[in-house]
Amino acid sequence: MNAPTRDPAFLAIENLTVEYPLQGGRKVHAVTDFSAHVMRGETLGLVGESGCGKSSAARAVMQLPRPTRGAVRLDGQELTGLRGRALQQARRRFQMIFQDPVASLNPRMTIRDIVAAPLEIAGIGTAEERCARVAAMLEKVGLNADQAMERRPHEFSGGQCQRISIARALILEPDLLVCDEAVSALDVSVQAQVLNLLEDLKRDLGLTMLFISHDLAVVKHVSDRVAVMYLGRLCEIADAETLYRGSVHPYTRTLLSAVPEPDPEAPPHALSLIPGELPSPVNPPSGCPFRTRCPRASDLCASQMPQLQDISPGHLSACHHPLT
Amino acid sequence: MHMGEIILDVRDQRTSFATARGMLAAVDGVSFTLQRGRTLGVVGESGSGKSVLSRSIMRLLPGNAVVPGGSRVILNGRDLTRLSEAELRRLRGPEMAIVFQDPMTSLNPVLSIGRQIMEVLMFHLGMKKRAARARAIELLTAVGLPQPDVRVDQYPHQLSGGMRQRVAIAIAIACEPDLLIADEPTTALDVTVQAEILDLLQRMVRERNMAMILITHDMGVVAGRCDDVAVMYAGRIVEQAPVRDLFRNTRMPYTAALLASIPKVTDPPHRKLDAIDGRPPDLINPPPGCPFAPRCKLADADCDQGKPMLEGPAGHLFACIRPLGQETAA
Repeated sequence: MNAPTRDPAFLAIENLTVEYPLQGGRKVHAVTDFSAHVMRGETLGLVGESGCGKSSAARAVMQLPRPTRGAVRLDGQELTGLRGRALQQARRRFQMIFQDPVASLNPRMTIRDIVAAPLEIAGIGTAEERCARVAAMLEKVGLNADQAMERRPHEFSGGQCQRISIARALILEPDLLVCDEAVSALDVSVQAQVLNLLEDLKRDLGLTMLFISHDLAVVKHVSDRVAVMYLGRLCEIADAETLYRGSVHPYTRTLLSAVPEPDPEAPPHALSLIPGELPSPVNPPSGCPFRTRCPRASDLCASQMPQLQDISPGHLSACHHPLT
Repeated sequence: MHMGEIILDVRDQRTSFATARGMLAAVDGVSFTLQRGRTLGVVGESGSGKSVLSRSIMRLLPGNAVVPGGSRVILNGRDLTRLSEAELRRLRGPEMAIVFQDPMTSLNPVLSIGRQIMEVLMFHLGMKKRAARARAIELLTAVGLPQPDVRVDQYPHQLSGGMRQRVAIAIAIACEPDLLIADEPTTALDVTVQAEILDLLQRMVRERNMAMILITHDMGVVAGRCDDVAVMYAGRIVEQAPVRDLFRNTRMPYTAALLASIPKVTDPPHRKLDAIDGRPPDLINPPPGCPFAPRCKLADADCDQGKPMLEGPAGHLFACIRPLGQETAA
């Protein structure tokens, strides 16, 4: 239902390309021609292994840094062309949470100042009003505001620091929240607390989310739709249940079969993967990027880049030899 | 050298660290035995003491660690707590070896990987250089490193994370140890690489009839790859059982809560997770009773009276006075 047509998508990512220059005129092709649409209130999960470009794509959406090519439209507003104050204004509407909750908080600032900083930068409210909003937001993310306000990040656990990061990201009441491996550094019992919190906040505040993680179980948990990336390109995108039960791209299948299930009756699947290493994003293979490790690859895969094709409504896959 | 032979016998291991706030009991009375050919999974969250336990067994503890006189680590009948550092060094390699989480920090960045394997072979087995090099290439072949005769002269930075972990495993098995400890060996790796490395470890244990301790925070890794599982919480083993038993007939409420909090790929999207409220106890001032009692839904006043012993019928041990499945346990 959300195929990249002229749908009124809330977040429209079109042909996003991110390249990082290297010495000697070569470049890292981090993201190539990535397109996806996210409807208002929807969570799009973005999965893939290290180096697949999922974080680069997320950062390009945030304009941190700006993508090399392509368009990012939020609620109809093109972000890639914005500069200076206009970009700062627009940034109130999209905020981000990072992987390392401790490193992303300034250790010398109090929690009050950390969470109030976005309000101050945006010039919202008096000091007193800001303080009241910070207190309310801290309570909303499950912290005791009276106890937390005057303390500093080192006095909190990793899970609590991530709650503080979430409070800071949400204090400007953004429409879009980008979570880049936001729960990956947390222990499972704490991870569950933070995932539940994100789900509650998303529902209560009507957030649209872009949720990036290498953990397929976590992504399925929070996502309405899921996109799989390999070597900078989109392999497959579908609603969560379809992708996990009926994926047709050989890479998606491989990735899913590698997830160790917490069930001793489910023996590990044999990997259908040609042994070898991820190709370099400096010199990606011709044609399909996955062909060097794909057991189904043919000559066609080397000569022609597979285009995204409709498998069923809302389910797209880029493969010459899809599985059934 | 047959299956069933007890290789490792850990008795009342206690490891504490002197901190500014007082003594921190990282491992607080752990006992277990391990047989040849078996893999024991040790699972727990950060701070549960699983890594300190592995270093306590290897006797690789920092200077501020305190181990009281009653703790025993008996490997192949020899009490490691009584050995000098020089004697221990001769055992690390031929009798016990460890693979760490981050192969980039456990490998020496300025020596070729061949040299690092040869060093072990020359020191422990007295091999000559030429023979050691040939053996190093054989080992790299055994662990599935592509182009071993080229890679042998390369340096760690020239290899991917997965390849580096293969090299670390080659070094660990070079002297055919009886006991292999793998401490979060795949935590830094992608899932597809993780599956390959776990396959490799399993194959090595089987082919060489070793005993393995696989330390992980991932219940999925434990479920598919271990014979027995020990669950650690606040420095203690709180449940220990054959793997199927642990998952099918969970007795300790902490284990059950941990399993329930894991998101699963088979769950429908947006299912509310059963998170465990609160956080693990302060190991400098631990609660008087069961360390999980403050977070446990089944705890009552009795749970605060002394730490429960790890005990139970037929090889399924749990440290809990209000265990689950009471009515079904015959």
